[in-house]
Amino acid sequence: MAMITNRRKHIVVAMTLIAPFVFIFALVFLYPTVQMIGLSFTNAPLIGSGEWVGLDNYRRLLSDNLFYTSLKNNGYFVLLTVVPTTVIALAIALAVNRLSGRMQALVLAIFFLPYILPVSVVTQIWAWMLDFQFGILQPLLEWMTGRPVAVFNHPGWVMPTVAAITIWWTNGFNILLFIAGLRNISSDLYEAAALDGASRRQLFMKITWPLLWPVTALVLTLQLILQLKLFDQVYLLSGGGPFNSSYVLLMMVYREAFQLNNGGYASAVALVLFVLIMVVSVLQFQLLRIGGRK
Amino acid sequence: MTGVTLTSVDKVFGSAKIIDNVSMDIAKGEFAVFVGPSGCGKSTLLRMIAGLEETSAGTVEIESRDVTQVEPAQREVAMVFQSYALYPHLSVFDNMAFSLRLAKTPKQQITAQVNEAARILKIEEQLDKKPSKLSGGQRQRVAIGRAIVRQPKVFLFDEPLSNLDAELRVQMRLELSQLHRQLGSTMIYVTHDQVEAMTLADKIFVLRGGVVQQSGTPLALYDDPDNQFVAGFIGSPAMNFLTATISAVTREGVVASIEGSGGQTLEATLRDTSLDIGQNVVLGIRPEHLHIREEGFSATVEMTENLGGVAYLHSRLAGGQKIVIERRGERQAYQCESISVWADAKHVLVFDQGGQRLR
Repeated sequence: MAMITNRRKHIVVAMTLIAPFVFIFALVFLYPTVQMIGLSFTNAPLIGSGEWVGLDNYRRLLSDNLFYTSLKNNGYFVLLTVVPTTVIALAIALAVNRLSGRMQALVLAIFFLPYILPVSVVTQIWAWMLDFQFGILQPLLEWMTGRPVAVFNHPGWVMPTVAAITIWWTNGFNILLFIAGLRNISSDLYEAAALDGASRRQLFMKITWPLLWPVTALVLTLQLILQLKLFDQVYLLSGGGPFNSSYVLLMMVYREAFQLNNGGYASAVALVLFVLIMVVSVLQFQLLRIGGRK
Repeated sequence: MTGVTLTSVDKVFGSAKIIDNVSMDIAKGEFAVFVGPSGCGKSTLLRMIAGLEETSAGTVEIESRDVTQVEPAQREVAMVFQSYALYPHLSVFDNMAFSLRLAKTPKQQITAQVNEAARILKIEEQLDKKPSKLSGGQRQRVAIGRAIVRQPKVFLFDEPLSNLDAELRVQMRLELSQLHRQLGSTMIYVTHDQVEAMTLADKIFVLRGGVVQQSGTPLALYDDPDNQFVAGFIGSPAMNFLTATISAVTREGVVASIEGSGGQTLEATLRDTSLDIGQNVVLGIRPEHLHIREEGFSATVEMTENLGGVAYLHSRLAGGQKIVIERRGERQAYQCESISVWADAKHVLVFDQGGQRLR
């Protein structure tokens, strides 16, 4: 018996099902986005309307030194986190994957634990641990550098420290993704390769690495997006200082919008960050996919 | 010349002995099949020969070289896995060339060897494709091709046909047989399917509980099983077993009265005439050796399975024991009919209560 479908009814059902999502998406994402784009061409304050100023905000941005500092710091932070966190997560996942049963679950839970902490708790813990006077990590820093370091007040230390804390905080999720990827590789493949004469190193290079590549590309891209959105850790730990050495784009948006009441200019910065994240992440993901196919 | 020799091989997992004192000799160029129910240790034994499982005790020799402590790659064996285990990120060509590339074989030679294997297996058209683009049968060929390319001393097959549909399985079975003749290499094949074992093997090893129950040519196992397990495992439909009591000992053998049949008897030829009257035994008769004849014992046909050329009469004796009778070219439909069944004494096998064959 042929299935008789009422096409109109079919469409109505489909529309009904997606309507709640479309409505909320339009209300809290699409509408504000369009408004923000409009706002970036005006000199409006945070609340209330302003005058159309064309591309003035963008012109101002290009001559704003803080913009370039923030952009550079964002780039520096991405360099410090994205690839290192991926490499560390992969290494831990490979190690955890060799454990079995409950031991594996336990170790995995330990590595995942920081991820469930809220950012305020994470930054408070590390601020205490790295406290210049009482921090329990200061002896370690002293041993490494010969004297205690006020890490959040030192232009050279602040970004690497925030990066290290961020990696510690978010790495559990990446480990989880890699573990899932590793479990998807059949043990038969390793046995077949071992019979074919592959050494441990070759097993990793010829089996694990290429088969894990899609997961690696995903982790790298997710990390890139996440780390470009850096705000909370810097805001809570260093406030962008010292000497703007940890200032990032999102902090600039925050300052312009909520502290200086420049809604129009803040919108322009936000839009630039939005486009930057989109372009870079799409570009990266495509490049990684092409790289994986080769 | 010897192909694979196992001497008193054991495999212990914790406190469980998976393989118990197995010794066997597989001649060079022979097609050996390990067969047995699941969990009998046949795959473990194969993996021990491959070197994927450690050997707890005893020695494994391949062409007279002791390889017990040798890495899998250095054993000069190739294995075809049940799951095929093709590298999903590599093309068919690269899959087959994998081991040669690791061994740093010159490019020209790799191309030549892979192409030759592809020609033998008729997969020349598929060389550029990824495994995911292939059908089950083609993947199987690639897996076999990957083994051929290595030119191993021994081919190991771990239930390679169990993921294929019935029709393809029959076809691949024939092709494997031809391949063996063509290559002349030693092959060891693991299966739980006794039909595969019968059709492929030069020599069958029947395993149960990690112990080799019997080994020999397929027909030797079929005609002359050592125990009730082998007798029941080899042959389809399975051999009929009837519990009985020895009621008389004659010069040629014994007369046994079938349990619950009210004194009806069956004769069996035996060389050993030292059995006691009243001893409980099990009689084994293959379905094709049971005939409908007046002087036999009575049975009721419960269901007839007629396939045209051959028919199986599923019947029950008075005491409740079931038997299957094979009939060639049967055209009569038996329905709950009483028949009289007879078997030639030389076709009636006798087993003691422990399942051992009495000859």
